[in-house]
Amino acid sequence: MNAQTLGVVFFPAFDWAISPTHPEREERLLYTRDQIIEEGLLDMPAIREYKPKIATYRDLERVHVGVPDIASLIADAHLISAGGAIAAADAVMSKEVKRAFAMVRPPGHHAMRIVHGTRGFCTINIEAIMVEYLRKVYGIGKVAIIDTDVHHGDGTQDIFYHDPETLFISFHQDGRTLYPGTGFTHEMGSPNAFGTTINIPLPPGTADRGLHEVLDHLIMPVLEDFQPDIIINSAGQDNHYSDPLANMAITAQGYARLADTLKADIAVLEGGYSIEDALPYVNVGIVLAMAGMDYSKVMEPDISSCPSQSSSVTYYIQDIIKERQSMWRKRMNMQREAIMKFGQFWERKRTIYYDDDGIDEEQKERAYLCPQCSGYVITETVAQSAFHRKTACIGMIPRRACSTCQKAAYEAVHKAKKQGQYQYYLVQNKYEDRIEKL
Amino acid sequence: MFLGLDVGGTFTDGVAAAGGKILSMVKTPTTPDNLLNCILNTVDKVVEDTGSKVFERICLSTTIVTNAIVEGNIDQVGLCIMPGPGMNINEILPAAPYIVSGYINHRGREVVQPKKEEVLKACRHFSSCNVFAVSGKFAVRNPCSELAVMEWIQEEAGPMHISLGGKVSGSSNFLRRTNSAYYNGAVWRQFNRFATAIEEALRVRGIQGPVFVLKADGGTLPLAVAREYPVEAVFTGPAASTIGILGMNDTGISGVSLDIGGTTTDIALWQKGRPLFAKKGAKVNGYVTGVRGFRLHSVGIGGDSLVSWDRHVLKVGPVRCGPAMAAGGPRPTVTDAMVVAGLIDFGSYGLAIEAMKQLIMGEEGPEEMAARVLDEAAKGICRAIADVLGEQAAEPLYSVEEIVNGSEFALRNIIGVGGGAAGLVPLVAKKMKVPYTLPANGMVANAFGAAVAKPTLDITLRADTAEGYYTVAELGVKKKLPCASFSLQDACQLAEQHLSELSRLSGVFPDETEVIQAEEFNMIRGFRTVGKIITCRVQVKPGILRQGKEELH
Repeated sequence: MNAQTLGVVFFPAFDWAISPTHPEREERLLYTRDQIIEEGLLDMPAIREYKPKIATYRDLERVHVGVPDIASLIADAHLISAGGAIAAADAVMSKEVKRAFAMVRPPGHHAMRIVHGTRGFCTINIEAIMVEYLRKVYGIGKVAIIDTDVHHGDGTQDIFYHDPETLFISFHQDGRTLYPGTGFTHEMGSPNAFGTTINIPLPPGTADRGLHEVLDHLIMPVLEDFQPDIIINSAGQDNHYSDPLANMAITAQGYARLADTLKADIAVLEGGYSIEDALPYVNVGIVLAMAGMDYSKVMEPDISSCPSQSSSVTYYIQDIIKERQSMWRKRMNMQREAIMKFGQFWERKRTIYYDDDGIDEEQKERAYLCPQCSGYVITETVAQSAFHRKTACIGMIPRRACSTCQKAAYEAVHKAKKQGQYQYYLVQNKYEDRIEKL
Repeated sequence: MFLGLDVGGTFTDGVAAAGGKILSMVKTPTTPDNLLNCILNTVDKVVEDTGSKVFERICLSTTIVTNAIVEGNIDQVGLCIMPGPGMNINEILPAAPYIVSGYINHRGREVVQPKKEEVLKACRHFSSCNVFAVSGKFAVRNPCSELAVMEWIQEEAGPMHISLGGKVSGSSNFLRRTNSAYYNGAVWRQFNRFATAIEEALRVRGIQGPVFVLKADGGTLPLAVAREYPVEAVFTGPAASTIGILGMNDTGISGVSLDIGGTTTDIALWQKGRPLFAKKGAKVNGYVTGVRGFRLHSVGIGGDSLVSWDRHVLKVGPVRCGPAMAAGGPRPTVTDAMVVAGLIDFGSYGLAIEAMKQLIMGEEGPEEMAARVLDEAAKGICRAIADVLGEQAAEPLYSVEEIVNGSEFALRNIIGVGGGAAGLVPLVAKKMKVPYTLPANGMVANAFGAAVAKPTLDITLRADTAEGYYTVAELGVKKKLPCASFSLQDACQLAEQHLSELSRLSGVFPDETEVIQAEEFNMIRGFRTVGKIITCRVQVKPGILRQGKEELH
C-alpha cells in the first residue's frame, strides 16, 4: 500500500490570461486554490501534489499540425498546461498514485488536430497530447476519453475521429443551444473508426438526476464493452447550475458522484467559469471522490438556488439513452454499411470558426478507407482572418499505418505541391513520430 | 550580554554572547524528569563563568512543549469547530470535536452565523475542560464567528484559556489551524506552569534580564506572549542550531548546512545566506499544524550511529545502541571510526581500534576499516542531501514565470556544525564537489542561536476591494479599506503598520521588515473590473542580534 490514492497537479497559471476580462484569466482558479488550501486537502495522506512538467514541441506535434508551425501559435502557459497533464499521466503510470487529476489551465478540448489559432479558449488539446504521450512512452493501446464539459469536445472528437483505438464520449448541452454548435448524435467517427465517437447532447436544465442516468445506463455499459486500457476524464465543470456560459443544473455533489462512478485513471480540468460559486466546491468534490474520501459534506452555500429537472427533460434524456444504446449495439453493421457506401475514400467539407482569434477555416478532409490499417488522411485547409490568409495541404499517416498508406500520403501531398495551390505542404507522420515540411 | 540556553535530548547547552562573539559556553546533562533543574544548573554555570547576573536577554530553546505532547502530559481541550460544508475532518483531528454551525466562505462573507444555543451545549458537553479551542473555516478571512463563539464560551464556561485557530496561526489552512489551536490549548497549562517556575527561580537567584522563548521558525517571543502561544515553542532545537549557523557565518551560504549530532544529521537549505522556511507547518505528534519552521530534513546518521554488517552490506545507522566504544559504549559507532581516522580526539583510542577490529571482515587494517565506515556514513548523508534537493526542485509553482524562469536551487557550499561535523563534513563536501566551512564553535551552535536569535513576527493582510474591507488574521482585525483605489503597495504599507503595532503589543522591537508574499488579482464580473483581491505577508526579518541593547526593545 505504498501508492497514494490521488496525484494532483495544480497549475492555476496565476500570470496568464487570454485577455484581461476574458473568462480564461488569472483569477479563474484563485478561489479554487483558496478553498483547496483552506480545506487542507493537499495535507491528506491519500493525496500527493505534483509539479507540472513542461511539454515539448515533439509532445505537441504527436497530436497537432500548426500552420505554419505550432511553436508560433502558443505561449509558455500552454506547454505547462499540457505538461501538467503529462505529469499526471507519469504519476499514474509509475504507480506512485492510483489516479491523478490535472487541475490546470489553459484548457484544451476545443483544439483540433490542425491549429490556426485559439478557439473556445483552447489552442492545444492537452488531453490528446497526454493520450499520445501515454501511447508513445508507455505503449498504452485502447483509450477512453469521457468529456464531461458542458460544451461539446469538438477538438478531441476531431483528433480521434479516424482512430478506432480511442473511444470518445462527450455529453454536453445540446449544440443547437450552445457553443460550439456541434456534437450531434450522427457524428460517430469516420468509417475507419465508426462508433468510437459517441455524442450525448443533453437538453438545457439537465440536473444531477439526468446526468447520472446517462452515466449509469449508457456511459458505464459502453465502457464495460469497450474495455479500455485507461480512462481519461475531460473534467469540465461548466454543467454547474451557476455557470455563466451555460444552462445546466449539475451540483458539486453531482460532479463528485460522477467522478466516483467513472473512476477515471486521469482527469484533466477543462472549462468551468463560475469561478466563485462552483469551481471551489466542484474541485474539492472531485478531488475527494477521486481520492476515495468522504465527499458527502461538500455543498455549495447557495445550493437552494439550484433548479430541479423538469419532467420533459427527464423523458428527453431517457429517449436519448435508448437511441444511443441501440446505435452502440448496431455500430459494427453501421460501419460496414458506411464503408460500402463510401468505397475507397470518405470525404467531408466543413467550416471551423476560431472565436478567440476571429479566424474562419475551410477544411476539406479525405480519408482513405484502407482494409489494412486505419487509413491516411489528406486535409486541405484555408484559414482567413481580417489580416491573414493561411493555406496548407496536410497529410496524416496513422500510428499503425500500413506501408501502402505511408507511401500514399506522401504521394498525395507531393502531388498537391506540384499543383501549388497552397502555402504549406506538411506530413504528420505518426508512424515515425515526426512532422515533415515538404 | 545575551544568554542562550538549549535543552537537548542528552545535554543542555548554555552560551553567553556579546558583539556576535561567544564569551562563555557550558554543557550540563539534561534532566528530562525536571527540565527546570538542568536549565538552572546551566544558568548557574554561565553566571559563575562570566561573573554577571545581568543579561540583556535570556532566551530559552526548550523541549518542554515537545515532551509534554510526546508523554501525553497534556490537558483535555474542549474543541469547537465550524467546518461548514467541505471535507469531513472530524475523524482526523487529535480529539473528537464539537461541531457548531457557522460558515464563512472563501471571500470572507459570513454565510451562516454561529448559534449561541449550540455553543452553550458544547460548553456542557465539555464541562470537565479548563481550556477550549475554537476554529472555523476561513476564519482568517473574517474573525467574527470565532470571536463570537469565544465570547459565549467565556460567559458560559469561563475556562482558563481559549485558543482561537485564526490567532494561533494566520495561515490559510483550516485543518492545520484547528490542530494548532488544539495543541496550543493542550499544552497551555503545562507551559504556563513552567514559565512561572522559571521566572520565580531566576528572581530568587537575582538574575536579571527579560526572558524570551525561541520559536520553531528561529524567531523569539517574550515569555509573556509565549504564554498565550505555547505551541510555537515546539521543535526549537533544530531552529536554534540553524540560527546559530546564521550567526557564525557571514559569508552568505548558498547550499546546505549539516548539524551532525549523536543520532541524526539535520539538513537545512540556504539561499544567499538565509535559511529557507518550510512551505507548510510542522507536524506535531503526527498531526499537521500551522507552526512555521525552517525547511529541515533529518537523516538517521550521527556520531553514535551503530555500524554493523547486514549480510555483506556495511550499515550505518539509523539505530543508536549507546555511546561510542571509545567512550565505553557496547558496539562500534561512527565516532569510533573518526577517532581511528585521527579526525577527532575523543575517549580511548585503543577501544576505538577495538571497535574497528570487530567490523573487519577481510584483510584490511583498522584504519582502512575506519575509512570505509566514514565513506558509508558520508554516502548516506549525500543521499539525504540529494533527496532534499530533489524535493526542493519538485515543489509545485503556480505561475508561468516561476516555472519557466525560476532559478534552480544551487548547492554552492556546505557548512557543518555539531559533534560529528569535523569528521564527516569534509567527506560529504568532497563527494558533492563543493567547498565547506566548519565554524569554530559549531558544537554549541544551538545555544548560540538561542542567544542571538532576533525576535520575529509575521502577519498576513488580505484586502478585498470589492467587499471594501481587509483582514489581518493574526490580530483578529477586520476593517474597512481606507480608500477605494487601494493598491498592493498600499496593502504592504498598511501591513507594515499593523506589524509594528503587533510588535509593540508583543514587546519586541520591529526592526527591519520585509514582504515575503504579495499577490494581486483583478476581479472581473461580466466584462468589468469590480475590484481586487490583494494578499501580502510581511515579517520582521529573521536574523541575529549583534550589538546589544538597541536591537531589543
